[in-house]
Amino acid sequence: MTIPLPARIGLLVVLTTGFYTYVGQLVPQKEVQPPQETAIRADLTTADMVTVGRQIMEGKGLCFTCHTIGKSGVLRFPDLDGVASRAATREPGLSDVEYFAKSIYAPDSFIVPGFNPGMPVINKPPIGLTDQEILCVIAYLQTLGGTATVTLQTSHRYYTAPGAIPPAPPDEKAEPGEKLPLTLPPAQKGETPKAPAAGPTPGKKGEV
Amino acid sequence: MNIPVVLAILVVFAFLAFRKANLFILALAWWIGAFVFFRFGFTAPIPASVISIYMGIVSLATLAFVSSSEQRREEVSRPLLRLMTEKRFAPLLAATIIAIPALAAANVYVQMNVPIEPPFFPRTIHPASPPEITVHEKKISIDLGDNPFRELEKSNPQEFRQHVENGRRVYYQNCVFCHGDNLAGNGMFVHGLDPIPTNFADGDTIANLRETFLFWRASKGGPGLPEEGGPWNSAMPAWEKILKEDEIWDAVLFLYEFTGERPRAREEHAQ
Amino acid sequence: MNGVRSKQLLFVLGPLTGLVMFGAVIIVATFLTNREYREPDRAPIAIVDPTPRASGLADEAAAADAAAKAKPYVEAEYRRFPVVGSRVAIWAVAQLHLLFAAFVLAVPIFALIIEVIGYKTGDKRYDRLAHEFSKLLSVSFSLTATFGAFLTFMLIALYPKFTNYLMSVFSPTFLPYVLLFFAEAFFLYTYYYGWGKFHPLVHIALGAGLNLVGTGIMLIANSWLTFMMSPRGISDSGALISLEDAINNYTWMPINVHRIIANVAFGGSVAAAYAAFKFLAADTDEERAHYDWMGYIGNFVAIISFLPLPFAGYWLAKEIYAYSQTLGLTMMGGAFSWLFIIQAVLIGNLFLGANYYLWLGMGRVEGAQPFQRFVKYLLVAIVLCFMIWATPRSIIATVSEIRAMGGSTHPILGFFGVMSAKNTAVNILILTTFMSFLLYRRTGRTATVSWAKTGQAVQLLIFGAAAVFVIFLGVYGYFVEASVRIGLSVPQVSSVLFAMVSISVIDIFLFRRPKLTGEVRWGRIPAISQYVLIFIAVTFTWLMGLMGYVRSGLRQHWHVYGVIRDTSPDAFTPTLGFATQVVSVTVLLFFVLIGFVFWLASLHDRPDFEAGTKAS
Repeated sequence: MTIPLPARIGLLVVLTTGFYTYVGQLVPQKEVQPPQETAIRADLTTADMVTVGRQIMEGKGLCFTCHTIGKSGVLRFPDLDGVASRAATREPGLSDVEYFAKSIYAPDSFIVPGFNPGMPVINKPPIGLTDQEILCVIAYLQTLGGTATVTLQTSHRYYTAPGAIPPAPPDEKAEPGEKLPLTLPPAQKGETPKAPAAGPTPGKKGEV
Repeated sequence: MNIPVVLAILVVFAFLAFRKANLFILALAWWIGAFVFFRFGFTAPIPASVISIYMGIVSLATLAFVSSSEQRREEVSRPLLRLMTEKRFAPLLAATIIAIPALAAANVYVQMNVPIEPPFFPRTIHPASPPEITVHEKKISIDLGDNPFRELEKSNPQEFRQHVENGRRVYYQNCVFCHGDNLAGNGMFVHGLDPIPTNFADGDTIANLRETFLFWRASKGGPGLPEEGGPWNSAMPAWEKILKEDEIWDAVLFLYEFTGERPRAREEHAQ
Repeated sequence: MNGVRSKQLLFVLGPLTGLVMFGAVIIVATFLTNREYREPDRAPIAIVDPTPRASGLADEAAAADAAAKAKPYVEAEYRRFPVVGSRVAIWAVAQLHLLFAAFVLAVPIFALIIEVIGYKTGDKRYDRLAHEFSKLLSVSFSLTATFGAFLTFMLIALYPKFTNYLMSVFSPTFLPYVLLFFAEAFFLYTYYYGWGKFHPLVHIALGAGLNLVGTGIMLIANSWLTFMMSPRGISDSGALISLEDAINNYTWMPINVHRIIANVAFGGSVAAAYAAFKFLAADTDEERAHYDWMGYIGNFVAIISFLPLPFAGYWLAKEIYAYSQTLGLTMMGGAFSWLFIIQAVLIGNLFLGANYYLWLGMGRVEGAQPFQRFVKYLLVAIVLCFMIWATPRSIIATVSEIRAMGGSTHPILGFFGVMSAKNTAVNILILTTFMSFLLYRRTGRTATVSWAKTGQAVQLLIFGAAAVFVIFLGVYGYFVEASVRIGLSVPQVSSVLFAMVSISVIDIFLFRRPKLTGEVRWGRIPAISQYVLIFIAVTFTWLMGLMGYVRSGLRQHWHVYGVIRDTSPDAFTPTLGFATQVVSVTVLLFFVLIGFVFWLASLHDRPDFEAGTKAS
């Protein structure tokens, strides 16, 4: 019995592709959903913000692609375990909230000794967290070796909370002369605290 | 490396080389030898998923080798041809024909017959403590604090002994059910617990911890574990709801006294 | 004869009449039921007094009419492709377009080189071979264009808003693209149909023009897709600032280089598969000898251009990291990290297949037995490298296996999961394959130059030194920090490249006027080798599909990374299992179509049909 040549070649092609498809089924199967656009409600308590912050870090923020919590050995990025106890004293003159904000809005301005720069600016696309989301992340970071204190009304040098515009200038860290360009549109961003996450920036672009 | 297994494989190959074995036998020996090496040759066993990748590569390579020249093809097919054509090998041939599906069936049976296992949760063994905690409305610093009764060990041994005895009472009234009579983490409730309670008597664990850390774990228990690194599933109660602060400190003293360990000293950071 | 014909007619007419009758019944039935429903008293509508029901119906119709007229025009953001969804539809069509385009761009490159060799040496065989390669071109070219048009229409229909945005950025490049396409058609058809009709130099110039124009087309198309991955030259909100920057974005050049090399490798392997098909179908020894040789050349082209491909890949990956750390980490550490294990399986298979084909090829040459004994060492090296490369970074294991290992990383295999080991493995694989080539070159001839012994010793020394150096750097990588380790791949790659170039140069001089000890008997090769060639072609195609997926899928939920977000239902990243299924279906479609191309090309050799010869 002889099988005709085209059938033999066809069989080989099908078997080869079949084999590679099979290999493709053996590896872990994970479907990555686009980040959820969860609205940050204005009435979140600090405890709620911790939970939301953790979710943001796992999902949309992509933080755990590089950062770890509670891992030692050769690290790519600084481990975040107990980071809150270090944050307050890391840079003189910066409170822990200010330090966290600085490392999120301007990550290259201070590099933890022993690491290479490489963290993207988190409030810009492609990650593009909103100011409110970043506050939640800070709340969660504070629980790593400390207690969360921030609320959605907390202002820092990169963000002025809408209700807190009058008391913001007396804030000892807000140095008006040293404002970064990132802070330029706070009024526009701040006017709707209920705006969906990433709404002001990528959302509008999508409609161009 | 599992030395005896590796040696055994080497001996078999030396024997085959000495006998100038036929290529067919050699190829078979390479395949089986590779499998035995991967499966049993390491003291830390290789997971089955990786072995299957490796054996796939070895199979491909063996096939490629035996068919890579006319001479080799001929040498490999000769014993097979003899097996299939010569009369005296008929029983062996029959056995082979039965063995092939039987082996496949056996493989399926073995693969299906694995014990049911719980899903795997990676857990960090050492939770990170907060810098300070509040117990009975009193702030206690985990980083900078100390056991308030530890100094009595030198200044007032009599009173220190009383605290240890009080700790013994606390332990045997509360902790013994899980952590065990001899502090080895094998109390009578242990069989229902996962993760199992800490073994204080292993000579390693508490010697590497500070007393304030133990105080934090005892007073805040499983609910007080940090969120990261979970799920913890720890059944340890938060003892601050039952015991007084002094009682917890006493129990911590007792743990070190009973096991003969010394608590880890505070490290002075050069700031 | 008449009876037969009427019988045939009956066969055709029977089902046809059945269909017609079926259709007629349906039409009549619908007609009757419709009338019955609308006019229960079966009277014409004009003479019946307007009943409330009729006026109600009229009102309804009028209202619907008015609503339809007032309907505002809304620009659609997305449209859905039936059954499989827009993403899979675009994916498959784009991949097919790319596969044919790669083939059409690649074949002229090596056809021209072979033609030039033929012209220089005056060997007619080379000219015939180049002609035979380009025989596959014309049908493939029209298929490429068809799929390109298909892709464009699909983009406009399914992703109108996003396509509109791309046009707003790249509209000035469209006209040159179309004009180049015309030029491509001109050069391609004159190159093919003008074979042997012009002065050889004119013909070669036509081939050069074909290559230039083809490369130009590819460069323009690459700028569009690399812009989607690493946009540049636009404002924060996506408005165009500089078209030059948009074209010359971070990944444009690396993709250009990577694609040209990969295209040649892919085209060579598909051409070799064509030769294999013809070899297997051949009737005479002469044909077999010719197609064996053609398959050998095709495979040679494929493997030689495949060897530098990993280096081009490094460069591309480096530029991706440089553009965006997030993008790079998504690729190597995030959702796509397992894809590279699949890739390792494919590339391991390619190396194994290529070496195997060479070893089988030694059988063509008389007196090649002495070289056969090296095969086992080469094989061991390949197997070890393949294993190291296929060892995953994070191993899949059950709870009891993890307990037995004492942690989620294996104390020994853990070393193989990281970059240092993988880089070393692929470099050694490349060296080993190169070694197989050298051995093959040595079959059937002996060097006669006076310094033959020394030359071979020097070659061996360079080879050994390169291997030792590569392995040393690989081991050294475990003792330094990450930033230094990444830099180590450069000396590794350069030492391998240096070894390959210097050994080849020595080899060329070494085998000037060699003493022939055995004849190459083309065509005397077991049939299995030809199936290996087809296997290699399928693997190459599949690999292109897989890597095309990772390049495009890397953007995840972005159309243009960081600028235009994908808000369609297909914005999620599918599982690797699903992706491999789509790749497989695409590859199968490609092989059905390329089989058609092969069949058309082989029609050339068939005798003309003459009326009456069949009937008698």
